[in-house]
Formats: sequence, structure tokens, C-alpha cells
Amino acid sequence: MPQQIYDVIVIGTGAGGGMAIKTLCQAGLKVCALNSGRRLDPQKDFRNHRMPWEMKYRGFGDPETRILSQPDFVNTEYVEGAWEQELVHTTAPGTKWFWPRCSAVGGKTNFWGRSAPRFSEIDFQAASRDGVDVDWPVTYQEMAPFYTRVETMIGVASTVQNRPSNPDGSYLPPMNFRCFDRILEAGARKLGIPYLPDRIAQLTVAHAGHPACHFCGDCTSGCEVGAFFSAPWFLLPEAEASGNLDLRTNAVAKNVLVDDEGKASGVAYIDRASRQEYEVRGRAVVVAASCLETTRILLNSKSRRWPDGLANSSGQLGRNLCDHLYAGISGYLPQLLGQPSFPDNVSDSSIAWMPRWQNLDHPRKEKFVRGYAVYPDGGCWEFPAYYDAIEGFGSSFKRAMKRRYPTPISFMTQIPTLASRKNYVDLDPKAKDSFGIPKVRIHFHWGENELQMWQHAKHACAEVLRASGGVLESVDEEPQTPGYSQHEIGTCRMGHDAKQFVTNRFGQTHDVANLYLCDASVFVNGTDKPPVLSILTFSLRTSEYLVAQMRRGA
Amino acid sequence: MAGQNVERREILRMLSLAAAAATFPGFSKWSFACGAIGEELAPSKPAVYQPVFFTAAEYALVERLAAIIIPTDETPGADQAGVAEFIDVMTARDPDLQHQLRAGGQWLDAHSQKLEGKPFLGLSSDRQVSLLETLAYREKFRAGEESGRNYFALMREYTIMGFYTSEVGLKELDFPGLRFYAESPACPHRDDPEHRHLPPPQF
Repeated sequence: MPQQIYDVIVIGTGAGGGMAIKTLCQAGLKVCALNSGRRLDPQKDFRNHRMPWEMKYRGFGDPETRILSQPDFVNTEYVEGAWEQELVHTTAPGTKWFWPRCSAVGGKTNFWGRSAPRFSEIDFQAASRDGVDVDWPVTYQEMAPFYTRVETMIGVASTVQNRPSNPDGSYLPPMNFRCFDRILEAGARKLGIPYLPDRIAQLTVAHAGHPACHFCGDCTSGCEVGAFFSAPWFLLPEAEASGNLDLRTNAVAKNVLVDDEGKASGVAYIDRASRQEYEVRGRAVVVAASCLETTRILLNSKSRRWPDGLANSSGQLGRNLCDHLYAGISGYLPQLLGQPSFPDNVSDSSIAWMPRWQNLDHPRKEKFVRGYAVYPDGGCWEFPAYYDAIEGFGSSFKRAMKRRYPTPISFMTQIPTLASRKNYVDLDPKAKDSFGIPKVRIHFHWGENELQMWQHAKHACAEVLRASGGVLESVDEEPQTPGYSQHEIGTCRMGHDAKQFVTNRFGQTHDVANLYLCDASVFVNGTDKPPVLSILTFSLRTSEYLVAQMRRGA
Repeated sequence: MAGQNVERREILRMLSLAAAAATFPGFSKWSFACGAIGEELAPSKPAVYQPVFFTAAEYALVERLAAIIIPTDETPGADQAGVAEFIDVMTARDPDLQHQLRAGGQWLDAHSQKLEGKPFLGLSSDRQVSLLETLAYREKFRAGEESGRNYFALMREYTIMGFYTSEVGLKELDFPGLRFYAESPACPHRDDPEHRHLPPPQF
């Protein structure tokens, strides 16, 4: 029997892959999707409102199997087995890097933070404004209709805010502000700092056949009713319903195969259980495995025609790794001491944000270029993590803990790094993962611009807290380990010049016409916004471009 | 259905009804749902807990320290929250913690022996509390007792982790999450954005 040749092979089923799969299948193309892990069952693999005392280790996870080289959420007992245990990267001397990997179908969209703002013209044309690095090869005007379609598809709750760096979209009613939001909003207003409802992909009302949120606060351990966007709830069912999808799970992509002319002809993958290698053939290949994994697959796709990795004639594959610098500032609001508890933790994430307010009128007003955003949060969270701020023990301690419960405040900065020659990934010449696939090696350091922003952010957050009548208690001495944000960006940048960029403005690689990239690896740099809405938006545009190319017979 | 609170039971009931009737719009949208709704939870614990890691004497010390750190007073404390059991379960799976808690317990007994001529559990409640105060409050710290302070800080941390993840601990805080709300809860103090005119503290 001759081997089936699919129209398109898609590697990855998260935001980028999920959108590509849905778009291609609905256009009538036969798609084979490869996903390195299993399907999750929301009834078994998510938290499902289980209380900590129902868990053997109270939700903290089994101390013996905890992965200390990863952030805590990777170890949570409520979604056991959803995150990968194995590290597939090494770090260059002096580099620290977290790389949490969710290989389940839908990837990190199962558990994401749900903040979903659009990128803006100020982001795309940032280089023209401040002279640093390069502009994106797209304009906001051409992206806006795609953003609108994605927002309509997934449902985003927010308000119209008329801010230059944050174009407004098409929104469901916003999440309501809680007591501490209103206190901080009043404080921030005195300083001229915006404190507004975040753009949050959480359904405040039923939307497009999906139920409204019930505000249990369990989001980042999975939503059992699908009241926020994830690929398995929102994208893959329609793709499967089309009859055009062959989704292969536990299929660990190893490399993209090429024909004699150097065009993509398929993908080699390893079956997770049997460790056997398989090949699947297609007329086009979409890689959407998340920024670093996509880069790793391409670097590992070496052939006579492409000795330095596929689509790497520019030498730029793996270059310009960007991240978000996350760091915390915390304290409490004495006004709320001893007040009754209030359901503050209804989104398990930020309801409010302080969107970029720096360098808007003048691109070089501050000591840094570009800008950052801050996510404030606080109130009655499940675990009273403020205990370190209260000394001692006994009944007085217990009372103080209770009095404090409604009061904690934390600010998390979201500071984009600039692209840098020093920040890149290459293949580790020695280390291989348990499937025999070479690991990537990460070279990364915070740069001066982002550290300047961090100084600015510390000061600004402390001022907002003070203006709100709050008490500042701690400021992170060090930012979170790079990679913590899971917003890695930029290792396969898009641009007009084939000598300087990996893909063109449609995410199609310059070197290989039938190879497309649909994740944040194609982004030129990070912005003050998280990447998921833009990954969906760019993937939708790339996928429709691919369909058009195929129809033209290209 | 031991340990299953009302909210969860209610949620499971809703979900099973929804799945059966397929009226819950979200349900048919998940491409991979496999049907089975919430499994039965483990049977309730035996009446007397047998420590997995600690010796009987060590376990008695852990129980006592937890009960001093978060006492039962007008509301239940660590002893009613199963904190010592939690610490034993965690310690059994964590070699570093085993070493720290075992060595720390020995330090505490030796320290108590030196000051009072008795092991810690042999002291009166008042003497136990005063001894711990020198390890817990900065203004009462004494030179050369850093390892004791570290031990107490670790016991305190695990007691807090165990207590505030227990049913009585979250009831103590009145944790308002993991419930159903028809709309996203909004600040009720409409005319008081800065919250300067709240009712007096309840606690």
C-alpha cells in the first residue's frame, strides 16, 4: 500500500498549532497533526474543584518526584503528569533557564494565564520610533481584522480603554473589580498610572457555544467546562468534526524531512511508548511546537542541502531569543485588615492590569526604550503565602494570619527583553534526550534595557501601593529565572530580507517555500503584552496564506 | 464520600447531569472527554495514625510543636487539622527534610536539657513556650542558637503548610474560592472607592 501523502503536517496542537489545524482542516485540506504527549481528560487530569486536603500531599506534590529545576506549578499535584519531567535543554555557563513544557494535546493553552491584549502599531513600528533593532514586517492595520476574528472566536472580556499602545478590540463584559482593585485604582489615579480591567480570555458570559465562567478560581489547573480559551476546547473539536484531521498523539517530532530539492517532504517522529521511529509525508509542513522546540526541531533537521539546520541560510535560526522579565513587588492594604473574606481569587490570574504607560508620547523619555506592563493581584487567595511577614506562633499568630487574609497585594512586572546577539540557542554538541534527540543549549542574560525597566517598575509599584494607603513589604532581589514567563519569543524572526530573517511576513520560511512556522518564534521581539492572542492571530493569517498558496498550486 | 465538601459534590452532580443530558454546552465541545465523572475518594483514615518516618518520640515532638505553633483556642488548631500527619507524610518522601527535622529535634532536646535539665516534652507548657520564643521572636534571639532558629522556622513553615491546606484551616480563613458564582464577584462598597469607611474589623 503506498504511503498516504497528507496536504499538511502540523507539529504541535497548542495556540499556534491548534489554530493552524482548525483553519487548514476547515479549508478542506487533509492534515496530519503530531503531538508529543497524550490527550488530557478534563474529568481526570484537571483539578476539578478538589480541595487540598483531598490530595495526598495537599497539592504541593510528591516531594520525592518534584522537579526542583522547574517552577512550582510544574509540580502541582492537581494536574499530575500534564507537565514534562525531562529537560531537553542545557545551559551555557552563566545562563539560568526554566523551560516548563506541557506536551499534552493543547499544550500550555490548557493552563495559561489568559491575558489576551493585542499588539499595537507602537509595537510593530517600535524600531522606527526609537532606532533600536528592526520593525516588524507587518502593520497593525493589516493585523487588526485577524485580531478581531480571533477575539470573536475565543471570547475576551475587557473594556474600551483608548490607550495608544493597547488597541481596543471586540470584548465581552469585563470582570468586576474587587475591593483591593478599587483601592489600587484610586491610588494609581493620583499618580496618573492606568489601572484597568485586563483583556482576559475568560467567558464572563456564554459565548460561541461555550458556557460562562463559574468563577471558581481554578483556571490554571485546567477548566473542566471550557469557559476560557484552550485549543482542546475551542479549536480541535471543529477540526476533528471536519473529518480531515489525523491527530497522532505521543508522537515526538524529531526532524523535518526534505526531498532532493531541499523542500519539506514530511516529518520523522518517535513513538513515545515503543521508541520506534516513523515517517509521515506531506506537501507542506507547519512547525508550531512552541518557540524553543520549533527551533530545536529545525536545528536538528540537517541534511546535505541544509547542513546548519533547515531554513537557516541566514544563520539566524536560534538567534535573538527574547523573554519577559518577571519580578514581584508585594505588601498589603491595612484598610482591609480584619474584614470578612471575599471571593477575590475568581480567575486564578489577573483581572486588572497596569498597561504600558511609559515612553508613549516620546519614545526615549525614560532611561530605557519601549515599555512594560504590570499585573496587580491580591486579596483572599487559597494559600496564605504572606505568613513570612508575620512573626512568631500561638493564638496571636493565628489571629494575625486571619486578620491579614483579605489584605495582601502583589505586583508582577511583565518586562520585554530587547533582541540581543548574546541571547540565542544552538544544539548542544553532546547532550541528547531520552529519545536520542540532541538537546538545545541556551545562552541568555538580562540586558541593560530590561534591568532599567525593572528599576523603574519597582519604584512605580511601590508608589502605587503607597498612594493607595498600602504598606510595602518585599521587593524581589532578583528577577524570576529567565524562562519563567514561558513567553519565549524570536528565534525564527520574520522579516523581508532573506539574508537576515528566517521567515517572510507570512511565517513562510524564506529558504523552503512549503515550510511554515506558526508560533512565537517568528515574532521580531517581545512587547509589554503576553504572546498568546498574537500567536493565534498570526497563525490564522499564516494558515490562510498557506491555503491560498496551495490552491494556487504553489 | 469522606472529605468531600458540599461544593464539590454539587459540582460533580451538575457535571454528571450535564454530561448525561448533553445540555451543558461546554461538554460536547471537549474533543477528548472520556465520560467518567469524579472517582470515589480514598477511605477515611484509621483512628490511630502510625508514623511513616518519625519514631514515636519524634512524632510526639512534632505533634506538640505543631499544637503550640497553631493552637486550638476558640477555633480548631493544628492538632485537629492533621498537621503532624502531613509533616510525617512529606518528610517520609524528602531526605533533606528528614535530616533537618531529625537533627533539629535532637538540638531542641539537647538545648532544653542544658537550660532546664529535661527534654523538651518534659517541660511544662509555659516553659516550652518561653523556650520557643527565644527561637521565634527577633527581639528575644540569643547568640549561638542559629541552628535552633532554623529548625523552628522549618517546623513553623510545615505547620502552616499543613494547617492552611486542611479543612479546618481553610474554614478558619473562610476561604471563599472553588465555589460557583453566577457573575464575577464585585466590590460591594460602591460609594467608597478608597475604602475609608469600612465597618470596624471583625477579627
